[in-house]
Amino acid sequence: MTTDVQHSGHAEGEIHEAPYMLIFGALIVLTLAEVGYAFLSLPKFWLALGLIVMAFWKATLVALYYMHLRFEPKRLWVLALSPLPLVVILIVAVLTEF
Amino acid sequence: MTTDASTLRSMMIPDPAYEPGMKVYTMKLGMWVFLLSEVMFFTSLIGSYVILRFAHPDHFAAPGVVLNVPLTAFNTFFLICSSVTMVKAFAAIQQGDDTGLKLWLLATILIGSLFVGIQAVEYYILYHEGFVPAAADYHAAGRQGMEGGPIVGGPLYGATFYTMTGFHGAHVTIGVICLTFVLIRALRGAYTQNDHRGVELIGLYWHFVDLVWIILFTIVYLI
Amino acid sequence: MATTAVTAEQHAATAQHHHEPGFIRTYVFSTDHKMIAKQFLLASLFFLLVGGLLAAGIRWQLGFPGQPMPLIGGLFSDTTAPGGIILPEFYNALVTMHGTFMIFFAIMPLLVGVWGNYLIPLQIGAPDMAFPRLNMASFWISVPAGVIMLAGFFVQGGHAGAGWTAYAPLSSEPEYSGVYMGQILWLISLTILGFSSLAGAVNYITTVINMRAPGMTWFRLPLPVWALFVTSWLVLLAIPILTGGLIMLLFDQTIGTGFFSAATDGEPLLWQHVFWYFGHPEVYILILPAMGLVSEVIANRSRKPIFGYHAMVLAIIAIAFLGWVVWGHHMFQSGMNPLLGTTFMITTIIIAVPSAIKVFNWLGTLWRGDLHFDVPMLNALSFVSMFVIGGLSGIFMASAPVDIFIHDTYYIVAHIHYVLFGGSLFGIFAAITYWFPKMFGRIFSPVLGKVHFWLTFVSYNLVFFPMHTIGLRGHMRRIYDPNQYEFLQPLQPINTFITIAAFVLIATQLIFAFAFFWSMYKGEKAPRNPWKANTLEWTAAPTPPPHLNFPGGAPVVYRGPYEYSWPGSTDDFLPQDLPPDRVSRTPIPSEPSPMSTGD
Repeated sequence: MTTDVQHSGHAEGEIHEAPYMLIFGALIVLTLAEVGYAFLSLPKFWLALGLIVMAFWKATLVALYYMHLRFEPKRLWVLALSPLPLVVILIVAVLTEF
Repeated sequence: MTTDASTLRSMMIPDPAYEPGMKVYTMKLGMWVFLLSEVMFFTSLIGSYVILRFAHPDHFAAPGVVLNVPLTAFNTFFLICSSVTMVKAFAAIQQGDDTGLKLWLLATILIGSLFVGIQAVEYYILYHEGFVPAAADYHAAGRQGMEGGPIVGGPLYGATFYTMTGFHGAHVTIGVICLTFVLIRALRGAYTQNDHRGVELIGLYWHFVDLVWIILFTIVYLI
Repeated sequence: MATTAVTAEQHAATAQHHHEPGFIRTYVFSTDHKMIAKQFLLASLFFLLVGGLLAAGIRWQLGFPGQPMPLIGGLFSDTTAPGGIILPEFYNALVTMHGTFMIFFAIMPLLVGVWGNYLIPLQIGAPDMAFPRLNMASFWISVPAGVIMLAGFFVQGGHAGAGWTAYAPLSSEPEYSGVYMGQILWLISLTILGFSSLAGAVNYITTVINMRAPGMTWFRLPLPVWALFVTSWLVLLAIPILTGGLIMLLFDQTIGTGFFSAATDGEPLLWQHVFWYFGHPEVYILILPAMGLVSEVIANRSRKPIFGYHAMVLAIIAIAFLGWVVWGHHMFQSGMNPLLGTTFMITTIIIAVPSAIKVFNWLGTLWRGDLHFDVPMLNALSFVSMFVIGGLSGIFMASAPVDIFIHDTYYIVAHIHYVLFGGSLFGIFAAITYWFPKMFGRIFSPVLGKVHFWLTFVSYNLVFFPMHTIGLRGHMRRIYDPNQYEFLQPLQPINTFITIAAFVLIATQLIFAFAFFWSMYKGEKAPRNPWKANTLEWTAAPTPPPHLNFPGGAPVVYRGPYEYSWPGSTDDFLPQDLPPDRVSRTPIPSEPSPMSTGD
């Protein structure tokens, strides 16, 4: 992880050479990998786990590079991640019911 | 006394380096805050789906049996493409390339519309295969075209599928409408290299919608 | 008066400041946060009245079951109350809509809509909200929501009757409750209202984070701003959960999706989880702002710094966070997984800790203070004491074995009204009377205010305290006619007593309405800073504040908001924006303080 492009403070006016096409390629490859992986004859648990890991990987790439979180101040990261514990709490707690 | 000391400390002149806020401009902060509420909205829909699926696994079918995975994989590809064109539009105006901005925005609008159109076609086909949201009418027999064959899955499948993908489609549609407004403003020269906040804001929304689709595609179509 | 001499260019540059908007832009489609706050205030006081009248209907049926309503009895249709005798279906609608109007259309906008709008920009030193037009939309979206909700009374089948919690399948299967259109309107109205709340929350959060005046650091924010900021996070993250649930319920009703219908393998319990995952943060949305407002009043009217400012702030944050992990305590009776139930029980009891921190800090503020028992202070003290009673009964209920006994009885009704009426509404009365001079430029009538306070305080306790008793004796919460059970028949005299007290309570609120409008036009003219307060809305802005609030530009803040009775200063208050070199000082007495004479 190179940290030299961070600490930019005000993002506007500065141009970050984000590797947009590289990310695009990674997203396509991961999508194809997902579709292929979904039709393997694996136990359901491993299928679900692998697919969710790949989906989160893709989602993280979009958030970091396309939504420029990678180049934003750290306090915006905290703000952006704040609902995620609530998402986990709801789903995990209710799942124990069924 | 300590109260005196703390009072004296609190009476100091404000630190000249003190800078309130998030260090991002207010509109962008507002958009991020709004997107957090969208996260919670999709959480209630997706969370309900996850919970219902755990409670009633027999209502759901293996990937590709009812839903058309190849078609949707293409649609996913299109949505990812639209994210790239969106980010290219932003990169263009960052370098002052006004023409590039307009062209990439137009491409984003077209690809976004294509996504909605393909989704409509998908809905039409699924609906006529008996994969409907209403519990009483659910009679999906799978994609092999076995009319009157055994019913695959159960009504919760149709209900959750249409609710989640429908609200995502509605978000894409709203995004296309907003992008059209941004394009009209861009044609009037509203965005410059120094001030292109509107492009960045709609970009954030658009990528968020893409991000939701990445999750939906995986957990609805592939698992 | 050289406005004609300025060049067009200069005029354009300053147009924003000298612009005089017309009537429509000033009073109707205003983007000024102060006007929007007043719009919210009048609208939500109207809905408070509606909710109160619905409560009167409920109390009439319970106090005098089966008897025709006096005076207005003839006004009702044959499907609601033929000849003034309330039908069970109409009673269900009364109970449902009393809860709905009070929670969503009265208390929530009274706290978040009114005071969020009014106080946040003024107290942080901002000219307006971050997004003024979104702010205007926030109010005008809530109007159709209110109209649709009111319209439900006039559709076929009557209004929604499944309780404000709308438990499925009672709410999702029209044949169970006999209500179809009313329930649909209820769902649509609350969905629309969600957008209004959301627009407000985005605005408040963004404004507090990014628009504070120079020097207004996080720990110099007045406590109302802190409370409203944290509340806005709850609104932002909880309301969408409800919206998702409402939409699923609406689909169940209209297109028969069966999310919550056991007949098609849906999960009725899922509705309860979704609803209460929103519903418990909502409970704190309804109390946290009142806590912040009351903290301001108590510190000012005791002429003392608030006791434990940082602890107060941290307690607000702790309550808000814990509010997300306790929702299951509304569902102990649902047969939930015991492990989950125990978890919810423990987390719920933990909430007593930050709540108690707040209560003891209020007491610490009052301790040896220079107490001024005027109208805001009386209401604020009532808030604290009633909140303690409601909070203590809350600890009873947090314990699952106790809750299983008292669940769905009037004990719960007593508890919610002790925190929501005794807590939130007294906090609102305190805030209205405290900031009335700032809003309308006149003092809220002290005589009428005290009459209203004492009558309300006494009749309120006479209404709600006996509910603990009848609840423990098994009186069900939403029952139409308790006399159908032999063991509840001895409670009829208590019910009649509560009803009479309730009518006194409702009639007393007319005094408040009269005092409100009388003071607005005929009240004593208010000086700029009648309470000798420190916060920016009193010290840096004229009364009432003009468009964009601070004519001299953003004030600079030098200290915290509660510097009352500072030993080195001549005045007993130090405004937040008073530069340190302009503080008039008295020489600090040179004799040793009593603390150090002991040695």
